[in-house]
Amino acid sequence: MTLKMKTLIAGASGIAMATLATGAQAEPKTNMMHQWAQGSEAAAIAKLGEMFEAAGGTWEQTAISGHTSNTLAKLRSDVVSGNAPAAVQLKGPEIAEWNATGATANLDEVAAAEGWDDVVAPELVSVMKPTGNWVAAPMNIHRVNWLYSSPKILGELGLDVPKTWDEFNAACDKIVAAGHTCIAHGAADWSDSTTFDSIVYGMDIDLYRAAFQEADVDAMRSQGMIDAFAQLRKMVGYMDDGINGRSWEQSMTMTMTGEAAFFLMGDWTVASANLAGFVEGEDYYCHQTPVNWDGDGFILNADSVVFFNQKDEDYIEGQKLLAQIIMSPEFQVTFNVAKGSIPSRTDVDLSEGGFTQCQQKGLEDLKASVEQGTLVRSMAHNMTVLQKYRGAMMEVITEFVADDSITPEEAANQLADAVELQG
Amino acid sequence: MADTTHQSFDPLATGSRARQTRSRSIVYLLLGLFALLYLSPLVIIFMNAFRPLEEIVREGFISLPNMLSATYWVEAWSTFCIGGTCEGVSRYFSNTLLMTVPATILSTAIGLVNGYALSKWRFKGDTWVFGLITLGVFMPAQMTLLPWAFVLGKIGLSNTIAGLVLVHTVQGISFTTLFCRNYFLAVPDDLIKAARIDGAGFWRIFRRIMLPLSPPILIVCVIWQFTGIWNEFLFGTVFTSGSNQPITSAIVAFSGSGTGERHYNVEAASVIFAALPPLFIYVIGGKYFVRGLTSGAVK
Amino acid sequence: MMADPSNATRPRLSAILSGWTPQLVLVPTLVAALVYVVIFSLWTIWISVSKSTLLPNMAYGGFGEYAALWQSKRWIVSYQNLFLFGTLYVVGSLVTGTLLAILIDQRVRFESVWRTIFLYPLAISFIVTGTVWRWIFHPQTGVEKALHDIGWLSAQFDWITDRDMALYVVIFTGIWHSSGFAMALILAGLRSVDADLIKAAQIDGASMPRTYRKVVLPTIWPIFVAVTVVLLQFAIKTYDLVVALTQGGPGVATTVPAIVVYDLMFQRGQIAQGAAAAVMILVALALVLVPYAIWSGIRAKREAAHHG
Repeated sequence: MTLKMKTLIAGASGIAMATLATGAQAEPKTNMMHQWAQGSEAAAIAKLGEMFEAAGGTWEQTAISGHTSNTLAKLRSDVVSGNAPAAVQLKGPEIAEWNATGATANLDEVAAAEGWDDVVAPELVSVMKPTGNWVAAPMNIHRVNWLYSSPKILGELGLDVPKTWDEFNAACDKIVAAGHTCIAHGAADWSDSTTFDSIVYGMDIDLYRAAFQEADVDAMRSQGMIDAFAQLRKMVGYMDDGINGRSWEQSMTMTMTGEAAFFLMGDWTVASANLAGFVEGEDYYCHQTPVNWDGDGFILNADSVVFFNQKDEDYIEGQKLLAQIIMSPEFQVTFNVAKGSIPSRTDVDLSEGGFTQCQQKGLEDLKASVEQGTLVRSMAHNMTVLQKYRGAMMEVITEFVADDSITPEEAANQLADAVELQG
Repeated sequence: MADTTHQSFDPLATGSRARQTRSRSIVYLLLGLFALLYLSPLVIIFMNAFRPLEEIVREGFISLPNMLSATYWVEAWSTFCIGGTCEGVSRYFSNTLLMTVPATILSTAIGLVNGYALSKWRFKGDTWVFGLITLGVFMPAQMTLLPWAFVLGKIGLSNTIAGLVLVHTVQGISFTTLFCRNYFLAVPDDLIKAARIDGAGFWRIFRRIMLPLSPPILIVCVIWQFTGIWNEFLFGTVFTSGSNQPITSAIVAFSGSGTGERHYNVEAASVIFAALPPLFIYVIGGKYFVRGLTSGAVK
Repeated sequence: MMADPSNATRPRLSAILSGWTPQLVLVPTLVAALVYVVIFSLWTIWISVSKSTLLPNMAYGGFGEYAALWQSKRWIVSYQNLFLFGTLYVVGSLVTGTLLAILIDQRVRFESVWRTIFLYPLAISFIVTGTVWRWIFHPQTGVEKALHDIGWLSAQFDWITDRDMALYVVIFTGIWHSSGFAMALILAGLRSVDADLIKAAQIDGASMPRTYRKVVLPTIWPIFVAVTVVLLQFAIKTYDLVVALTQGGPGVATTVPAIVVYDLMFQRGQIAQGAAAAVMILVALALVLVPYAIWSGIRAKREAAHHG
């Protein structure tokens, strides 16, 4: 660890030397805008700041919490007022959108020197290089398709963790018959869509790609999508009456305390569960959400940092240094242990540094799904289509969950209509 | 209570003694019921500020504390990590004060004079001027965000507290002008006419007649502006960066639909800290609600 | 309206200026209001028909965004909600605020304590109080659970999870938040009323409710106008409350226009459509304010004719 740190510092001073040679007296500075304002995530970002300062930089940050809209509102205002931020946490298709405005900085120099192309998970590379140049540095990989289950309820009824959606429905029927809640859920557009991501993916992976990655409206109107909505309707029936106004943490607690059997959510659950004192294997199991095709599946979500063009030499140097540190194995370990996710580079050893069993299993499944060609990016977590399409789709999905008078056929058509409307 | 002694009349002082007692009990009963309803969320926030996180997560929010611990209050004020800086809410507190106090004073003072001019010195087109100023209260903040960003960028005030003071003052004048103008309308015009015949000018009448009449509406303006600006989140977040951010940036962290874990107890304590200055103003301002500052007192 | 100094002869300049003092005092506010109200609105209207997406873009793009907006279910629901919420919330807060102000005006003991209790909701960010009300209203953490715990197992109180009732939860919480401020303004108004007027009514033998209805409240009608305007702007700008309480759910049942504007402009990078939604908010406002302006204009004329 310390040795690597030294290499890092040496690398940073190497860059500093190089700029000295060209005559510029730049001192690396940065102000990173992000939405991790508290808890372990904020601590992980603070670590990034420490590493930045240890490498000779001057670190400042602007933490904007709450809704992502707040971060984006600040970003837009800053760009409009002529003060684009040096580094911003942005993800998915937004990287390409901002890249298209011409406001983002090019990181190819750092990427080439550090060999990012060789170590970054392939599914992420296209997102980080929208037009062939590196404009973003990926911080982590989240897995969206986790199924957490209650050992207590499964044990009581002698059930195995279901592997297909039919098994899942059969298990739920037994669990409900025994007087338990089958699925813990807190309804919101993003969480309803998280569940739907897993359903469509598990039922038909080609449909998922066509509908959610390509925004193909014919796929949205297809029988496969109708079947997926029918499965979602069935699952809403397996939930209790209190899903509205419940947070995802409360739903998590329901499953961890044996009040409900299953909980479908991304791996950030692991970080939260650990903090609340729940123990993996005792209070919860983690498995991939059911798939009707045999194999390992992985729905990917990733956080990343985008760099905007700066006039001040100090900030330009700061961007190079920050990008380098974000991609360093040290930072990737610290950050991801805290966040429940796994590193965005595939060459980090997860058996050290405090990763949980679930996280390690996540990495294995990631590798397996890359091999099997089953890896996809998450629609619900803004990794595929433009926000305007995603927002329109999420409205339809969350309305479908809330209003049981909408039939699966209607929902599939509404999904396609909503996307078509956005042009 | 000191603030009730000067009241010059008692509306309930009619009818028989028995009827008065009955009316009075009804008044207290109603006040008590409303108070209970109004206080319930505060009580819940307060209790959760003393409970260990594990207890809250396991037992839910609405339940009595098993044990009381004051450590979360200390943590909230001085050591809790928000945005990577572990100095609690104290750091944001002073930013917010620096923004709220000037903006409140400026907008209240300007609004008071505006209200006076618009209600007691009628001129052709005055209702149009008043109408235009009042329209300002309806501008949705989300809509004005980008134009403000552009204006602040042009005049060199982006990412400064001075910029926020400007935004809040401009917004606030609409409200304070509205409040003061409509309050002063109830002041008899005869008072002003008499003073004008005596040769008093605009400012003299303002000082001698209007100011002494203003305390109740002044405190309303100050309450409105102070709490509004204190709790405002959007402008504070969007128009400042890093260490200049206001306390609401810390408070809103609690609402987060983010994927991190939540420290409900520390959050609850922080919320109460953030609410103390407005509450302080309510209590202090209370004594300016005295009746008796009516025409009789000025004549 | 402004004095033109060039026409004034020197010795009379100061005299003329002092004659214009009321107008001069208003000039800075007027300039600010022109920029803030007129120019910002015009800018938004132009942006709504522009080609703006991620960032503002001044090139003309037509009225397509309005068409798209009005085909969105979420927008239509939110626009309907604005009118229902606006009406019930404004009326509810006015009635509650007036009642509280009159109660406090009865020479009650500990007046400032009562006043502070009813005002404090304004002091705490909605983001927080909305969350607490959500816990109270939620069947599994709040009132329903408490009733079940004390043995009333059939008790049901799940408005917040019911599509048809959730908006009323939002309205209730809104009234809880702002009625205290209505109370403060009305109380200030009550205290501006000439005490002699009330004494006279009492000497005439009017009862307490009658004194208020016939003498006191009509005197302070401008205050009620001010309170209504304040509540109306709250209704139109409602954002935090809904985000903290229901996040616009179940489904889109409690979405309000300000949420749609913010989402379109900032979350989804559809600035033109967001501006179109903002313009529609201004239209809704005009639907309320224009009839009021016409009515008060007619009233003023009639009064002038009456007195003349």
